[in-house]
Amino acid sequence: MTTRQPGELLYLDYAATTPVDREVAAAMAALLTESGDFANPSSGHVLGRRAARHIETAAVRLGALLGAAPERLVWTSGATESDNLAIIGAARARAHRGRHLVTMPTEHKAVTDAFGYLEKAGFEVTWLEPDRRGLLEIETLAAALREDTQLVSVMHVNNETGVIQDIAAIGGLCRERDVLYHVDAAQSVGKLPIDLSLLPVDLMSVTAHKFYGPKGVGALYVADRPGCNVEPLFYGGGQQRGLRPGTLPVHLIAGIGKAAEIAASRRASDLRGVAVLRDRLWAGIRDVEGLRVNGDLDGGYPGILNVSVGDIEGESLLLALEPLCVATGSACNSKTQEPSYVLRALGCSDAEAQSAIRFSIGRATTADDVDFAASRYREAVARLRALAPARTAA
Amino acid sequence: MTANPYSTEVRALFANPSHSGELDAGVAVSLEEQGMRLQLSAWARGGRIDALRFRAWGCPHFIAAAECLCARYEGRAAVDLESVSATEFMQSLGIPVEKTGRILVIEDVARALGHKLREASNSET
Repeated sequence: MTTRQPGELLYLDYAATTPVDREVAAAMAALLTESGDFANPSSGHVLGRRAARHIETAAVRLGALLGAAPERLVWTSGATESDNLAIIGAARARAHRGRHLVTMPTEHKAVTDAFGYLEKAGFEVTWLEPDRRGLLEIETLAAALREDTQLVSVMHVNNETGVIQDIAAIGGLCRERDVLYHVDAAQSVGKLPIDLSLLPVDLMSVTAHKFYGPKGVGALYVADRPGCNVEPLFYGGGQQRGLRPGTLPVHLIAGIGKAAEIAASRRASDLRGVAVLRDRLWAGIRDVEGLRVNGDLDGGYPGILNVSVGDIEGESLLLALEPLCVATGSACNSKTQEPSYVLRALGCSDAEAQSAIRFSIGRATTADDVDFAASRYREAVARLRALAPARTAA
Repeated sequence: MTANPYSTEVRALFANPSHSGELDAGVAVSLEEQGMRLQLSAWARGGRIDALRFRAWGCPHFIAAAECLCARYEGRAAVDLESVSATEFMQSLGIPVEKTGRILVIEDVARALGHKLREASNSET
């Protein structure tokens, strides 16, 4: 049992971002200054070629993690850009064949807002509702696909609930219907096994900072297959075959490469570790009266546990939980009290969505940490319930 | 989300709401509005508030302002409750302007309680 200092912060928000692995940070730092390979990797001189080798190494490492050929990776600034490039770029590239697109309202904002933009631009988008766990039923997708459907985008692991979509089945159906399939894999790369040499996925978005790499860098996988094309969103110096021009940030790309290498070596043990801790956390809170699990406790990614109690105000719960650093299911510090659209899509009431707390566990989390978190959660719920008046009759 | 949405005062009042609870046989007023719920109860004698307690369901600013109200008005003349203003809590606790509607709920309940205490006092005399 470790002793916690009063007010000592406890980070349980690894689904939002992870700290940079020390080895990754060291690898990046070595490339930043004049003593390192800082040059522009597009330059033809010796230093430029040295910098370019770091890019190539990173592509090999990330490709190995994904089961993808290194040359199929396009470096971006992160998953948001990758999602936009994939969705808008593919829709534009295939607009001459049809303008129907399919996604879900439970996708990340980077996806839903990209589709929203395309709707305004004249594309037709079908928004598929999930079941109560947040999963897409394959029959629902099959019924939505049409002759003019060009793109389906359904994420791998949901960032709020941790539910895992069956991307093999979804991609398989898309292949049968000659529809491109994009996967936002921001929450699964480096955490779950992914083999793009086997999966029927055409486009996959990746970001480094969810698997102990730096913020500001990601990648888009583009399958080498007829009809799998995306139009660029930016124009410039022609780097990356013109698909995403701009001087490549060597240190960031080396960072994602190193993070990918580390993830590949410890992914299985990381997954076992977070599963044990998630089960321990769940055991510590499961008998809280009125507790609801948002997601799929049995089949979801075990690094995320999202729970809510409908009679507790979310913002107060978040403050009462300090020093825990966790995510809430509402944006109630903003001017409008907006419950999570993902949780509402799963059938949560506004009150349940607003009281939702997402615990997300990472490499540095310990058994003592989750015991403390469970204890803190129980105390906070009890304290806020004791404060609340009875409801008045409507 | 601002860097620190809660003032030191709000944090302290939220963490230690020593006036939370309900007074048996006290004069009480409840209101549910703006997504917030508040109940105030008071014991008063001779026009003075002997004890003032609250129960609240709402955001930290709302709970802190309810605690602040009780701490400030306990021991004062009951009639003072009828002129409670949300502004005094907004300013002293550093509550952001977008929470004004919620703090007005506290103003409404406090004034209603003051009115009810006056009526109760009148009926005794």
